[in-house]
Amino acid sequence: MKIEHLLGSIGTEFAEEAVDALLRRARGKIATALKHIRRPAVAVGVVQSSVGDLLVATSRQGVALIHYVHDGRDIAATLANLRLQFDPVEDRRTVREVGEEVSRYVAGDAKALRQSIDFTLVRNTFQNKILDELQRVPRGAVVSYQALSAAVGVAKGARAVGNTLHANPVPIYLPCHRVIASDGRLGGYVGGTTCKLQLLRSEGFALDDDDTASIANTTVWGRRGTNMYCRADCRVAARAARARIVFFANPEEAQRAGMRPCKICRPG
Amino acid sequence: MVHEKLPVPLPFEEVVQRHEREILQYLLRVSGDRDEAADLFQETWLRAYRAYPRLHPESDVRPWLYAIATNLCRNRARNGARRARVIVSNNEVPAAADTTGGPQQSFYETDGYAMVHIRELIAHLPSKQRQAVYLRYVGGLTYTEIAVIMNCSQESARANVSQAVRKLKAAGCEQ
Repeated sequence: MKIEHLLGSIGTEFAEEAVDALLRRARGKIATALKHIRRPAVAVGVVQSSVGDLLVATSRQGVALIHYVHDGRDIAATLANLRLQFDPVEDRRTVREVGEEVSRYVAGDAKALRQSIDFTLVRNTFQNKILDELQRVPRGAVVSYQALSAAVGVAKGARAVGNTLHANPVPIYLPCHRVIASDGRLGGYVGGTTCKLQLLRSEGFALDDDDTASIANTTVWGRRGTNMYCRADCRVAARAARARIVFFANPEEAQRAGMRPCKICRPG
Repeated sequence: MVHEKLPVPLPFEEVVQRHEREILQYLLRVSGDRDEAADLFQETWLRAYRAYPRLHPESDVRPWLYAIATNLCRNRARNGARRARVIVSNNEVPAAADTTGGPQQSFYETDGYAMVHIRELIAHLPSKQRQAVYLRYVGGLTYTEIAVIMNCSQESARANVSQAVRKLKAAGCEQ
């Protein structure tokens, strides 16, 4: 008998029926064991919206990931990262709704963003705190990185806030576009500054088209603590600690956030 | 810009469905023991599931699974757990045969000794050669796939197999 033939027949004594029986039994056991280490499933897909193409992942908890698509390699890296926490299945129908909500929101429908948010991809508790606090910044208001950091009790965490927002897993729904530099300049954005401008404009801010647009002069300045809002050129505002300032698009937004007008500069 | 297809890998269930039979057969044939194979089989899929996110979505799943199974077999052997059975005399019913029912027993009666002998010889090969031989003749993989699994060049995979075969021939397996 040829040796190759002999080697090929090692263990062929296991009959098909025996293999079948074994397989049936093993399937149940594997399913039980997998249940404990199972990663949750997410539907992923690229959707079109008025702020460009978005890679979206939604789990049963809500939107887990929104990623501005810049090029194909980008998608691969993002998906690889997503897979560490989730089992993705391509399903454009499920995620399409997110794209539609975003488009409606940018068109001015304030209540368009209805989906809940899945925080699984947030990396640590600091980031969690920042993003929690971020959710309290209402539409029509912006805060600085510094102020956001101060709000979670970290005096010098502006850079860390910047990093956190850069890693924000669900931009737009978690409104990281509402955070700007403390001198009133726009700052950066994961989806590009044009996109940040577009989003802020849709929320009521009057801004020019260029990247050097400053928010400070066209807004009213609210102060946390005293709950007062002033014109940008008010001397009270000039003295206020920057970490306490919230910029509102107009006096109405400030009042909606529960602030009262300053009696010195009398802003609308 | 419309994206045709996202680089999302197959759902794990589908991978299991496609490959479970051949992996179980491979494990049965390599370990020669039903219980041990069942054990290793389960472990293989659990490990595969844990490691699945790190597998590149476009790379081939099959050699990757064989690699996991092979590594598990090797670890099991090294840990001094029950080894593949080597010596069974010709007139005893070999342990593996009790899983098979009637018809296969005649196979053992005629070729049994050669089979047992070859298992014993393989068990004494250096581990790389043993792995390569199993992957080539039991798993039926190509040299390219073996090279991926054993993390070596295709030439050395081929060399491992051929050296093993030469040794087995020299030991008088061929009749």
